[in-house]
Amino acid sequence: MIWLTWRQHRRQALFTLVGLVALAALMIPTGLMMRASYADKGLAECLRVLNAAQPDPERARLCNRALNQFADRFDSMSLIGVLFLVLPLIVGLFWGAPLVAREVEQGTHRFAWTQGVGRRQWALVKFGFVAVVAVIVAVVYGLGMSWWATPLTGAAQQSRFDVIFFDMQGIAPIGYTLFAIALGVCAGVHWPRMMPAMAVTLGGFVGLRILLTVVARPHYLPPETRTIPIQGTIGEPGGALGDWILEKGIRNAGGRMVLSDAQAACSGAAGPAGGKCPPIVEFGEGAYNWQLYQPADRFWLFQGIESGIFVALAAVLLYLALRGIRRVA
Amino acid sequence: MDIALETEQLGKRYGRRWALQDCSFRLPAGRIVGLVGPNGAGKSTLLHLAVGLLQPDAGEVRIFGRSPYDNPATLPDIGFVAQDTPLYRDFTAAELVQLGGRMNVRWDAALARERLAQLGIPPKLPVGRLSGGQRAQVALALALAKRPRLLLLDEPVASLDPLARREFLQSLMGSVTDSGTTVLLSSHLLADLERTCDHLVVLHSSRVRLAGAVDDLVDAHRQLVGPRHVGETIAGVGTVVRARHTERQSTLLARIDGVVDPEWTVHDVTLEDVILAYLADGETTVARTDWEVPA
Repeated sequence: MIWLTWRQHRRQALFTLVGLVALAALMIPTGLMMRASYADKGLAECLRVLNAAQPDPERARLCNRALNQFADRFDSMSLIGVLFLVLPLIVGLFWGAPLVAREVEQGTHRFAWTQGVGRRQWALVKFGFVAVVAVIVAVVYGLGMSWWATPLTGAAQQSRFDVIFFDMQGIAPIGYTLFAIALGVCAGVHWPRMMPAMAVTLGGFVGLRILLTVVARPHYLPPETRTIPIQGTIGEPGGALGDWILEKGIRNAGGRMVLSDAQAACSGAAGPAGGKCPPIVEFGEGAYNWQLYQPADRFWLFQGIESGIFVALAAVLLYLALRGIRRVA
Repeated sequence: MDIALETEQLGKRYGRRWALQDCSFRLPAGRIVGLVGPNGAGKSTLLHLAVGLLQPDAGEVRIFGRSPYDNPATLPDIGFVAQDTPLYRDFTAAELVQLGGRMNVRWDAALARERLAQLGIPPKLPVGRLSGGQRAQVALALALAKRPRLLLLDEPVASLDPLARREFLQSLMGSVTDSGTTVLLSSHLLADLERTCDHLVVLHSSRVRLAGAVDDLVDAHRQLVGPRHVGETIAGVGTVVRARHTERQSTLLARIDGVVDPEWTVHDVTLEDVILAYLADGETTVARTDWEVPA
């Protein structure tokens, strides 16, 4: 059985390997380049400077320039990252959906399932094989992307929680890839035609990913709130670097939101740098900045939750596929 | 007597349409059985039920006493060649023989290789590039290499030209006569079966019309020519299968059960006559209403 699976899918496996090598040939040099530039410009130190409670204005100016230079040079790189958002889907479409659907479409299931091993064993070996391949591929590229994307997210002072960056790195891609494969297999079992199975995989994967990203992910854990007095003049008053800000606004002394999606700082002339400034008339005395956020250090926890949800869904789909395969004629 | 395949009230439904209904017969072991019927009569359905690819919706099918559905234990006993002989087209014949060895408990690779060598099938060519006849031979060789007790062949010669057809059937007969394998092969062509089969199952419109040993069937039927017949009973005649009338006389094909009324001239019939008579009695009324054509 394992020999059959290997013999049948070795060409697919080879294509996958070639694809991964081609991606590595693109990602490794660009990754090294970014890391070298990041180190040259001393950006790690810069971020510490900028994030300090009382940044030294001169060093902050130099650092901001260095960060902008880095961003100008490498910002377009994050477009490459988008490629990795669709990678799990591609695996699901071309490994998952045809696994059973193609056999049925070509009638070869009548050959395979009437040899000595029953179709259940056939399915277990096949599903296991693609799942293992998928996990290996996903681990390699998920952790590889974590390595690749670190300087980008760092220099852009972005949160790793940002939609594209969260989704393309870490262990979440393992869940996505397994889920895409399982969805493809399950669709192929219950609708054993290639095109419909691929369409269901495409629609189901994109739909569920968007739904969970938008609706569920912000609430995996109860978010925390933070209030920051209106003071200082540099940029937006921030919290810790890398937090995932879900909501922000300015609340008045009574706690009522007076302006949402905004944060306030003193205007330069109003008071001494870093000091408290006179109340802004618009908001009244005692107004403050307010943020609802997920702390940056929850990144791996959220990755685990996201991945866990998709792995669990994959397990359910594979179970349904195993049950459904008995009824495939 | 050992029963290779037995069905009891077997039925299979696709949606609301019954593809097979009330199907009951027994095949004694060691027979070469022809499964005849027009396209769409339910032949493939019956074979898929027998090999366990389909689950019955009614009744039962048993292979050597065991139900084949969801029961891999029956698989080693059955050799199956599906319609259009599906094989992995990018595999070579040699690889398929190797594959069979890995997917079967009992596997006679030497037998398969010898057959394929004898037939001059190239071992290193993907089977997708072989001719239809060669591919059918590869599929048959793979089914025989399981050394099955029951060999099920679904329209094995349908896609072959007459010469390849004869060769295929000859080589099939050559290999099963010694081993005592029971063979059930379906065809919508009578000529294929007449020469090879000693037992027959006739399917039409999802029902079994006739089942039995060829000799018994031929013996039991006669063609009768006599005065115009309007349905009255005739001495010695069991059931009239088909009747044709002119103004003054009637020609009947009937199952006889004794000495026939001497008023009728009795002729022997061929197997083909019998089968055609049973197949002619099909249900065309449904199709006529479906097409909105007056009956």
